Amino acid sequence: MSAALAPSISTPRRVRPPWALRGVGVVLAVAFAFPGLYVIWRNISTDADPIGLLGSSRTLDPLGRSLQLAVLVSVASAAIGTSLAWLTTRTDVPLRRLWRTILPLPLVFPTFIGAAAFIRTLNPGGLANDVLNGVGIDRTFELRGLFGAWLVLTLFTYPYVYLPVAARLQRLAGSLEESARVLGDTAGQTFRRVVLPQITSAVLAGTLLVFLYTISDFGAVQLMRYDTLTRAINTNYIVRPPVAFALSLLLLLVAVIVVVGERSVTRKMASSGSPRATRVVQYRLEAWRWPSLALVVVVALLAVGAPMVAMLDWASDGLLRATRNGRPLTIDADKVVEASWHTFESSVLAALVTVAAVLPIALLVGRYRSRAGSFSHAIVIGSFALPGILIALSLRFWALRSGFVGELFAGSKALLIFAYMVRFGSLAMGITLVAVQSVPDRFHDVGATLGASRLRRFATIDLPLMAPGLLAAVGLVLLSTMKELPISLLISPIGYQTLTTRIFNSFEESFVAEAGIMAVVLVVMSGVLSWFLILRRAEHR
Amino acid sequence: MTRSSSPIRLVVLALVVALCAAACGGGGETPEPLDGVAADIYGGECVGLEGDPVTIYSGRSENLMDPVLSAFECETGTEVAVRYESATNLALTLAEEGDRTDADVFLSNSPGPIGFLDQRNLLGEIDEDVLSLVDQQYRSDDDLWVGFSGRKRVAVYNIDSVDVDELPDSVFELTAPEWQDRVAIPGTNGSFQDWFTVFRQQEGDDVATKWLNDMVANGAKYYANNRSIVDAVGRGEIDLGLVNHYYNYQEAAAIGEDHRALNHDLAGDDIGSLLIITAATVIEGTSNVEGANELIGYLLSEPVQRYYTEETFEYPLAAGVQPAAILPALNASGTGTIDFDALGGGLEASLDIIEASGIANQ
Repeated sequence: MSAALAPSISTPRRVRPPWALRGVGVVLAVAFAFPGLYVIWRNISTDADPIGLLGSSRTLDPLGRSLQLAVLVSVASAAIGTSLAWLTTRTDVPLRRLWRTILPLPLVFPTFIGAAAFIRTLNPGGLANDVLNGVGIDRTFELRGLFGAWLVLTLFTYPYVYLPVAARLQRLAGSLEESARVLGDTAGQTFRRVVLPQITSAVLAGTLLVFLYTISDFGAVQLMRYDTLTRAINTNYIVRPPVAFALSLLLLLVAVIVVVGERSVTRKMASSGSPRATRVVQYRLEAWRWPSLALVVVVALLAVGAPMVAMLDWASDGLLRATRNGRPLTIDADKVVEASWHTFESSVLAALVTVAAVLPIALLVGRYRSRAGSFSHAIVIGSFALPGILIALSLRFWALRSGFVGELFAGSKALLIFAYMVRFGSLAMGITLVAVQSVPDRFHDVGATLGASRLRRFATIDLPLMAPGLLAAVGLVLLSTMKELPISLLISPIGYQTLTTRIFNSFEESFVAEAGIMAVVLVVMSGVLSWFLILRRAEHR
Repeated sequence: MTRSSSPIRLVVLALVVALCAAACGGGGETPEPLDGVAADIYGGECVGLEGDPVTIYSGRSENLMDPVLSAFECETGTEVAVRYESATNLALTLAEEGDRTDADVFLSNSPGPIGFLDQRNLLGEIDEDVLSLVDQQYRSDDDLWVGFSGRKRVAVYNIDSVDVDELPDSVFELTAPEWQDRVAIPGTNGSFQDWFTVFRQQEGDDVATKWLNDMVANGAKYYANNRSIVDAVGRGEIDLGLVNHYYNYQEAAAIGEDHRALNHDLAGDDIGSLLIITAATVIEGTSNVEGANELIGYLLSEPVQRYYTEETFEYPLAAGVQPAAILPALNASGTGTIDFDALGGGLEASLDIIEASGIANQ
């Protein structure tokens, strides 16, 4: 292949990746395959019959609803996430920096309390009801079914698109856009012809996550009373385990098909060889400034404001009641501080480890187009469609069966971080891959010509160029880990409580005041971290 | 872009902080003097911790268990380690861990997970002197589980949209036209499956199936769980719901007057007023049989039973403690209880009927 000798700018080279990188990639793929292998093994060991179940309308109907919901949520999240990313990074929409801190936050709401908070605020008799009645509007609408699930999941998942696209937009060179404008394109035409093709891979990567998250979600669809496949899986766990495992396998198959499909689309697209923006074009919205602001405000109010209203209401009611002669709270400041610290510690570690772990696979796929890399990539992303409880159970299963390694890690924080990594590698994968592809080969060639070693080139050329993408990946994993539930409950060292586990414990037994207080702490904490990760970086602008 | 390396520095800094914290965190625990609710359970001096700790998998939340377990540690000197999760997920975990589990005791807030573990022979026998603390009807015939508190099935209703006169005596009245589109059922929720299984055992499959199908035809609404029904009824989104009595007291205690719902007790002999037991089990093959039994015995002691009824609004099952005054009295003729032993295999048929009724799609 002469391609290796004559490097092109835009497509991955067909050179053999270094053996060490390939080795690391394969080892990581095995680690990420644990949940999938577990589901397959359990299908075999329980004589499950996934094919037979496909013939039943009790399987097909919920599966159809899952897919329908996932497509609708994906489309909406892609549209909202992309527009918000463009507005907050490339235009003069007012209060940009505030929005950039707030807009990723819906990621941190655990769906079981987030959806319940939506219901509490917006549904009949809820908090918005009083306001509407106050201005003479008597009708309240009821969030439920397909519409309710669609709205709540869209508002919770658009950050999966928003974060990678915003990271990409901040790195697009302005020269092409400027040329387009000089040649007479309007802002809209420039966006469509110049910007969109360059961010499509980031949009698709994010949308894929939205799709997979939606088919794996249980908390929101359950509270919105929309009967999907995860509901069927959940009711079968202890009653008919083989059915639960078979349905999970179907979920996994859907995921693999979608992941491979997405990959074959994005592979055909040329990644842009314009990594480093000397100057990012900022658009003046002119007359559109205020309508644009309205869009951002509406999304922020619905996605962050509405759940927060209910959480603050629960929290304040409980606090007031406790200070007057009412029932004392069952949590104290010590417990909240301890849980907050655990949340911070585990999510920061998980985010860094996860991004470090997917980077080698992203390099294999993005730079060398290696088959092992593509395989690992599909495994990492596909497992995101599995319900979290299955990932927790699979790691329990493997930890107990892997001899001294398992013994070493059983019940340790290391196993917990490893489990988070397996769960959320998919989140980091897409953005990391886009980041890897944004480093043009010619930079390496220059580096190599100048005699820099591979590692040195990686540290001095790749890392700085990939930094915004990697940080967005860290942010995504961080916020998602902070709300993760089944793994935090089942894999953590015994007695290691995080904010989310305490929120869950309180909320499920109707200790809504305690749950509300800790949920507010969780959101504030994630806001600070989001500001730190996403906004501080932009200050040199 | 002179500061292009700053994000990397930031990441390294965070890593160092987190690793150090992970390494340096933690420390030995000393028994602290009890305060708050725990001090009501045990007011004496704490004994120094000794012996093997008891590891508990608890399907009942920390809010309910923590005061009890703190009092236990203080009074007996036996340390506890607890993993809190839903009873279902803990049962699945126990099945996966098999004889390699660390758990000595499993606490469940519903019967289903206990039947699941029983079928897999994962439950060990509880000591006779612990079992005998509760009435025959609240414990296993095979000595494999013992109830330690009860939650009663009730109809929770919205006080603004339901007239006291129209409240039903029986769940069978809810299939009538006047209740069309007004009733919530926690369809596929574990506690509903347990209840429906007993319904089938007591009234027969035909009667139970017909009732559920009639409810669906009458526009009964599906909700995820007890808590979300109590919340919806309290807001007036739906008029009445079939739930455990427990949740309404908690919501009212937390939210106050804005919560517009009350529990209604169905007739004592109606299937709709069943008492559902939360139970304790010892895990088969545990290395700490003594500690496990000591703990379960403690749950059945008088101060703990009093705590369960007065602080968490449940029905006490042992030590002659009377239900808190706020709770509806248990029927003297004996409120039906769930036969956990028959439940294991029965759940599968129940789920078939429930899924076929189409309630989950209502």
